[in-house]
Amino acid sequence: MTSTLERTVAPPAVRRRPAARRPYRWTARAFVFPAVALCVLLLYVPFVWTTFLSFTQYDGFGSPELVGLDKYAEMFADPAFVNSLLNTLFWVLGTLVLPVGGGLLVAVLVYGLSGSFWYRLPFLVPYAISGVAVGVIWTLVLQTHGALDQVFNLFGVDDPPRWLLDSPLNTLTMIVAAAWQGVGVNALLFTVGLQSIPKEPLEAARLDGAAGWKLFRTMTWPMLTPLTTVVVGLAIVGSLKQFDIIYAMTQGGPGRSSETLALTMYKETFINSDYGLGGAIAVFITVITVIASVIYIRRQLGAAKEM
Amino acid sequence: MGRAGTVRKSFAALLGVVWLVPVYLIVVNAAKDRATYNQTSAWIPAGISGLWENLGIAWTSGHLAQSVSATAVYAIVAPALAVVIGAMAGYGIVALRLKHGFFWLIVIFASTVFPLQMLLMPLFIGYVDLNIYDTKFGLILVYTVMALAFSAFVMRNFFTGVAREMFEAAVVDGASAMRIFWRIYLPLATPALTAIFILQATGVWNDLLLGLTLSRSQEVRPLMASVASLQGVYGGTTMPVLLAAGLIVSVPTILLFLLTQRAFGRGLALGQF
Repeated sequence: MTSTLERTVAPPAVRRRPAARRPYRWTARAFVFPAVALCVLLLYVPFVWTTFLSFTQYDGFGSPELVGLDKYAEMFADPAFVNSLLNTLFWVLGTLVLPVGGGLLVAVLVYGLSGSFWYRLPFLVPYAISGVAVGVIWTLVLQTHGALDQVFNLFGVDDPPRWLLDSPLNTLTMIVAAAWQGVGVNALLFTVGLQSIPKEPLEAARLDGAAGWKLFRTMTWPMLTPLTTVVVGLAIVGSLKQFDIIYAMTQGGPGRSSETLALTMYKETFINSDYGLGGAIAVFITVITVIASVIYIRRQLGAAKEM
Repeated sequence: MGRAGTVRKSFAALLGVVWLVPVYLIVVNAAKDRATYNQTSAWIPAGISGLWENLGIAWTSGHLAQSVSATAVYAIVAPALAVVIGAMAGYGIVALRLKHGFFWLIVIFASTVFPLQMLLMPLFIGYVDLNIYDTKFGLILVYTVMALAFSAFVMRNFFTGVAREMFEAAVVDGASAMRIFWRIYLPLATPALTAIFILQATGVWNDLLLGLTLSRSQEVRPLMASVASLQGVYGGTTMPVLLAAGLIVSVPTILLFLLTQRAFGRGLALGQF
């Protein structure tokens, strides 16, 4: 045993022997190994592989042939890609306005009402169903002579806009369909945020005469910031990968007018068998996802510092 | 609450009703008789005479029967595996104090950052090479991995909150690390495990992209990929059947979600922090 003096002087980490501190060294590794191995094999290796393929010409037969940055040049020169990039931008902006804004609206509107669960329920039903089912339902609503057109006809409009056939209108209507699905979960997340806001400052502000919009803007909204960061971050990342609803409704058509990057990547790879181009688009999606996340997180951190 | 409360309530209720309009439309039109179906009267209910027939057609000639049973297997087995493997990782990192544990947690968790698009081609090529393309095993494998990161992350956070004394007392009693995991830590985590399981099972049930990419045959192909192809095969004339298919695939997740709404909310809350 070391003396009392030594014990106080020596840093504890050095004094203890590693073997004694981690008696389960190998057991711990064995417990964590399966998760790490699966992630490496099915996520990290494919990630590197796709990056490699993006620098090659490869159609699935023979072996990939290195072509440098050719596939990236081809990608940017492709009008279908540029259109798809624009649509994706629409999706990002539209998702920020509709499902996120709508979710906040529903959460604030319903929060604190007696029976608030029941008021939230209608918004949660679409959240539980799949993108494909949402696509099926909204096809019924938006197709030519569909449910929405019939409402227009009722008001004497005989040739309503072609909701799913004209670009960029078809992208906008599909964003609405996605919003129908997405508002519920955002409302739920914002409700969790509202519940975690301490009551005292709100009460104090209320006593000072703040109410309604002013109370929301000066007190509630700033205190929701951590949660808004999460919701907006999820919305951006999610909208950059939007695939299911579009695939189920227009398959990116008519022509290639309503494709997003995720759809273009899928088509180039599995329909045109151009793995190099598919890889280049996949890398591009990843890069803008990372850039968007970094810009967004930095902005949020900057804002937090100012407060 | 007074008048402001009443206004808020009516507005919320109105918005809720508007939100359910598409649900009304799908139910009304899925119940229409195919022979007399006229797409220009989508709003008007026409009895429920066609509902069972439409459901039946979607079930048999749409091959949903096969897809539902296959997908049920994926949606139960994959999240269950993910929950256990994720919990093992969390336990190894927290209770067994894996060296550089936080680093390994990041290694597991960072994998969720990759867009699926980055993985599709190699998964497809690799699956074909390994002869697991278009097999149930292959799909269970990929769904397990997709659910794993979230599961490991939440379980690691959960186990951090478990008192260390519990582990040490069990060690003093002579229990092995494996036994402590199965008999103490896993049972303690039941609420968190359930929440993760439900979230991930819903995710697997609703998946389209992986199913499209990694399967082809009726027996293996997951539900959403089958429904999506149904939409391609049939035209607007059999809209009621397509809508019936939409109902079949949606009812299980809606029921699951409503029955476990609290766990769901908790799961979301767990996921954020």
